[in-house]
Amino acid sequence: MLFSGVGFLFRFLPIFMLIYLVVPAKYRNVVLLVGSLVFYGVGEPYFVLLLVFSVLLNYGLSRYMFWEPGSPQKNRKKKRKRRRKVALVSSLIIDFGMLFVFKYWDFAADTVNSLAGGETVPLLRLALPLGISFYTFQMVSYQIDCYRDTIQEPAGFVPFAAYVSMFPQLIAGPIVRYEEIADRMQNRKIGVRNLENGLKLFTVGLGLKVLLANQIGTLWNTIMSAGAGNLHITVAWLGAASYSFQIYFDFWGYSVMAMGLGKMLGFRIPQNFNSPYVSRSISEFWRRWHITLGRWFREYVYFPMGGSRKGKLRTVCNLFVVWAFTGLWHGADWNFLLWGMLFFVILTIEKNTYGRRLERTAILGHVYTLCLIPITWVVFAITDMGQLAAYLGNMFGIHRTEILVGVQQLVRYMKEYWVLFIFCIAFITPFPAKLYHKYRDRWFSIVILLLIFWFSVHEIMIGSNNPFLYFRF
Amino acid sequence: MKSNGKRKGRRKRKQRMRAWGEIIYNCPYLIAVLTTSLIVVIFSDEIGIRAIAREAQSTMWQTMDFGTLKENLPENVEEEYVITDVNDVENLDKYDIDTMENAGKRKEEINDMQDDKEHKNDIGDEENLENTEEAVKGVTRFEFYEPQETDSYYYSDAGKVALTTDYPYTKENISYFNDAIFIGDSRTLGISDYAGLEEADFYCDSGMTILKLLDAGGVTYQKTGKKEDLNQVLQQKQYGKVYIMLGMNDLGYGNTDMYLERYRHIVDQIREWQPHAIIYVMANLHVSREKNNLDTEFNNININDKNAASALLANGTDIFYLDANPLFTDSEGFLNAELSFDGVHLYAQHYDAWREFLLEHAVEPMDAEPVEAEETDVEATDGRDPIE
Repeated sequence: MLFSGVGFLFRFLPIFMLIYLVVPAKYRNVVLLVGSLVFYGVGEPYFVLLLVFSVLLNYGLSRYMFWEPGSPQKNRKKKRKRRRKVALVSSLIIDFGMLFVFKYWDFAADTVNSLAGGETVPLLRLALPLGISFYTFQMVSYQIDCYRDTIQEPAGFVPFAAYVSMFPQLIAGPIVRYEEIADRMQNRKIGVRNLENGLKLFTVGLGLKVLLANQIGTLWNTIMSAGAGNLHITVAWLGAASYSFQIYFDFWGYSVMAMGLGKMLGFRIPQNFNSPYVSRSISEFWRRWHITLGRWFREYVYFPMGGSRKGKLRTVCNLFVVWAFTGLWHGADWNFLLWGMLFFVILTIEKNTYGRRLERTAILGHVYTLCLIPITWVVFAITDMGQLAAYLGNMFGIHRTEILVGVQQLVRYMKEYWVLFIFCIAFITPFPAKLYHKYRDRWFSIVILLLIFWFSVHEIMIGSNNPFLYFRF
Repeated sequence: MKSNGKRKGRRKRKQRMRAWGEIIYNCPYLIAVLTTSLIVVIFSDEIGIRAIAREAQSTMWQTMDFGTLKENLPENVEEEYVITDVNDVENLDKYDIDTMENAGKRKEEINDMQDDKEHKNDIGDEENLENTEEAVKGVTRFEFYEPQETDSYYYSDAGKVALTTDYPYTKENISYFNDAIFIGDSRTLGISDYAGLEEADFYCDSGMTILKLLDAGGVTYQKTGKKEDLNQVLQQKQYGKVYIMLGMNDLGYGNTDMYLERYRHIVDQIREWQPHAIIYVMANLHVSREKNNLDTEFNNININDKNAASALLANGTDIFYLDANPLFTDSEGFLNAELSFDGVHLYAQHYDAWREFLLEHAVEPMDAEPVEAEETDVEATDGRDPIE
């Protein structure tokens, strides 16, 4: 089920909230769990079983980590340690194994087959369970936190299951750590203010998604529909810019909706974006873009491998591993790996040479970031390598075929989209968020939000074009 | 004692009122959204109670006996198959062998239809029928196949594919489009952008529908850069050819019968404004396998259903049905994935093939309006004399 769909907005959400608010506080976790499974099950009637299965398995293993045999034994500490290790390793194997089978099997098999020639590994052609990358990462973070004693008291089954499957963040993040919501899982108060502000935040997210991302996405679609190799340099950059806007507002909008829903349920879901496009370097960009994913890789991959504390060579190696995985996390295809590698190269160079200087000279830094980011998103967006090469060539004025989309079309696109572009540019700056926090309780904000809400609903009703980009992951 | 209790009760009530007041004061937005939603849920056709009722009904239809369902289908759909074939009694045998499975039944229908032939030619071609008895007439044939069961309110499987109207077309050069106008949606916009038709006029907009084509408010007309209505555009200038391709955005606006009626109205209207133009009804392009979604209205079965309906408008004299799908689709009728980014719109470089297809399927303007190229090409149209 999509947040930006009539089924969610006018059926699921009101019914769920009514039940959630009416039941006594101690049953709210159960209601949340059941509601989330319904939310997931409507769209994925079979994969909901996979979700339940992996939640049960992970819960069992995490309990095993904390299990103490009754009678005193010899080598108690040593045995405890071993038990914990066994539990952690098996949970990692199961979680990542499932992710691999569903998401990466065919990609890996394809690669092996093309290397070996002939079909040595069969393709499975499995559909990707919705949100598997997100909930797998969340469960893994729970297991590792348990192993590291960051979580000292095991969660009960219902809180754990509700944490993993909580519908606001189930299918497209943010990737929440258990300790962030542990308190609220036990005890949370839902005041009218929570509902009010949560709904406002949700509306903002809905607007970002429907009124900005979807709309600017049609320009990207139009340009790509003309063909990746046929573009005049200006049109190629316009397309790259529009995709950059689309993916940001899409994903940011989704995260804001998740935060708003979380607030309505009495949780605090962490912020996932912090005006990433106004960064002064790519390093800073990644500190502001998809914050919870960056945090995950830092905490559970980069730091355990030694981070940047074991010499320059090890640091580069560690960065390589992290960015290869980050790339692949976004999708099982070569362009995603290439995308990750692009960041590896840029970040390595920045770290070792001009990174500091860039962040000191703001204007240069901004220009540098704004030039590089559209290029990286083009690599991200185009899966077909031939088309990708053609598009990147177009961005630098290199053409192998005739230019079919030239200045004439550019003028037409700009005539149609200039208002939208102004809004997009305004919304990548931090000012709208500041204004929102300052004025959100004033009457005119309420009028504006109401307009945003119903205009979004209207757009949803008339438009069939309503994709969530981060759905594929 | 008593009055004390009363006072207590009053105070309590006051406190409760104040608490409610505070709640309301604290969540004006929530209340605003809830009340407006309530209104919408009650009155809206698409969001509210009626939509739920419709969904429930369609699931009930699904579970109902399929036999009873068939009875509910409007019968005139069956009849309308034949309109275009009526003119082609000579070729009937060939037609039978070519395309029909249940030939016996069809023949009967055709005989029935011949009786009310006169009532059916409402497209204004009566004089043509009289004057050009020996003139070549186009025939729009269908290829039949075993239809699939569907359970949509919006469409059913037509069980047949309409083929490009059979006619001895001439091959023309690009000047053929000098007095042509194209009416359509985003795909026609693609023709305008990439097919290199500098001289033709285009009245199209992405998202254009048959439903709204004739509405006031119009689209930004590319020639003038101003918003204009179709009637303004078509009354300002007389065109030799009118190309229409619409319907992709109508897939979910009512069922196929309604679609045909709306389309017929549009064609009639255009005929009224452009009495001498050849009207080409172009088939909507299919979508790719990836885009083909049987859970929604957005699939090739529906597109084909709509196309087959719109083919009925072709009369073979001054209205022709052109289907460019064979150029771009695979053996199962899906748009070739390599030809399109989104599975709906062709890449720019493939519009050339489309233009060539249109030039190969050109019909000479049949009325007295002189067009320069006409003199030389008269022989090609089987000796038909277009000038009276």
